[in-house]
Amino acid sequence: MTRWGMVIDLGRCIGCQACTVACKVENQSPVDAWYAPVVEYEVGRYPDAQMAYLPMLCNHCTDAPCIKACPSGALHRRDDGIVIADEEICIGARACMTACPYGALHLHEGRSGELLGDGTRNTPSILERYAHERHIEGTVSKCTYCAHRIDFGTEHGLTPGIDPEATPACVVTCPTECRVFGDLDDPDSPVSRYVVEHGPTGVLRPDARTGATTAYVGLP
Amino acid sequence: MSAPVSALPQNVFMDRWALEPKTQRVWGVNHAGWFTLMGIGGGVFLLGRIFDITLEAGRVLGLPIVDVVSFVTIAIGGLILIADLGRPLQAWRAFRNVRVSIISWGAWADLVFLTFGGLLMLPDLTFGDSTPFSGLGWDSHATSGIGRVMLVLASIAAVVVMVYAGAVLARPRSIPYWHSVAIPIQFLASSLAMAMATLMLIVVLDGGDVTRSELLATAGLTAVLLVTIVVHLSTRTTAPGKKESIERLTRGSLRGTFLYAAVGAGTVLPIVLGLLALGFDGGAREVLAVLTLPLLVVGGFLLRLDTLRAGIYPPVVSLLEAAQR
Repeated sequence: MTRWGMVIDLGRCIGCQACTVACKVENQSPVDAWYAPVVEYEVGRYPDAQMAYLPMLCNHCTDAPCIKACPSGALHRRDDGIVIADEEICIGARACMTACPYGALHLHEGRSGELLGDGTRNTPSILERYAHERHIEGTVSKCTYCAHRIDFGTEHGLTPGIDPEATPACVVTCPTECRVFGDLDDPDSPVSRYVVEHGPTGVLRPDARTGATTAYVGLP
Repeated sequence: MSAPVSALPQNVFMDRWALEPKTQRVWGVNHAGWFTLMGIGGGVFLLGRIFDITLEAGRVLGLPIVDVVSFVTIAIGGLILIADLGRPLQAWRAFRNVRVSIISWGAWADLVFLTFGGLLMLPDLTFGDSTPFSGLGWDSHATSGIGRVMLVLASIAAVVVMVYAGAVLARPRSIPYWHSVAIPIQFLASSLAMAMATLMLIVVLDGGDVTRSELLATAGLTAVLLVTIVVHLSTRTTAPGKKESIERLTRGSLRGTFLYAAVGAGTVLPIVLGLLALGFDGGAREVLAVLTLPLLVVGGFLLRLDTLRAGIYPPVVSLLEAAQR
């Protein structure tokens, strides 16, 4: 049984945000939605302080609170473990947004154009206008582990996590290879091997007991 | 100049520093409104029957005014809920995920209540001398078998309507202040107390006398609310996320509306008034009893609104541990 998952090695992340941009371009997410942001934070104390980076995305939880919260059934887990938000079915109740401890769900509020400091927005770019029209206003969307790439790859005999065309855009783009993707149930997959060689791994908000399939190496 | 909150995305994790505790921006005034209205509606229906007020109090167009109040408040609450959806015209889909979603249970409970609660009183509908639905085979007294079945179904639905909003908040672990059985208990106790006060107003407006048991019920239910609030505020006080919520409610920006208004004026004072009213008869008792209503309703609304506003996500990783790394 295939169960897709990702490991992110925080020791390798340099905060370049290439994954953030690659995701934005690949998925054309609504203007205020960033499915794969990289959070910057400071660790240590002067003179030993340094910047650290935390790439975030949907954790594709095995016990996903968003699925339990959704009244319309728009959120569901595929057989391969990927959690999908179906915008056609979503009614915009946003219970999933409050239930997710990772902020992985984004409401398309019908805005376009970058938010400026005074609360106004600038004129939307062509890309922003396209993204605005591509999504249904009032619905929630999220990271899909680039399910369309995975599905394309598996249909064409490619291996997600190994062949770039079948691997999530954020993983392919990362210049430091801090993101590793693959089948968690396959001991020979890149992600399983990475965990054996570089583990242990941890998850965000372990107290939330979500069974996250996105894990981190080097989590504080 | 910083952007007004209304201009910001509802997803607070999009703020730059995601390692700080973050206040949810998804649910607010509208949700507090429908939580409150549905609580009152469910409680009025249930307690009106339990205290034999429904069939003794006045009628409007032949319908028991207690049931009408209950029906209308839940209907308005439902309309607010629907209007707040991102896609209101797709609201029917909320019935789909009843296997796992508490909101779906709530949607069904609203529908069942409005259907059977409405049908139950329908035979009594009177226009002048005409009672067009009197031949339906049951009445609002639920004396027939089918009437009793409707009453039971509507009563069960009324309980679910009162409880499910709190259960929706309490179920996920994302927001520690919400993730507690105390929240649905608070919402239930508040709903029943508001409903009891509403019923006392109906009794007074109908020229009846407020009874000792009605006053004791109001004070008792409000006391249960007070106890659950105090217990919830004094347990797990150092848990990440909940600690910040409690600070905001008791010492921070919500202190005025929560501590003074919702707890002080909206919970403690109605208990005092209810107990005080026991010592009086006639007009003074009724004035004190009726005074509890605005206090409980405003307090109940603020309790729900501040519970939502105090919904804080803890950092996804511990800053303290990160700082010590």
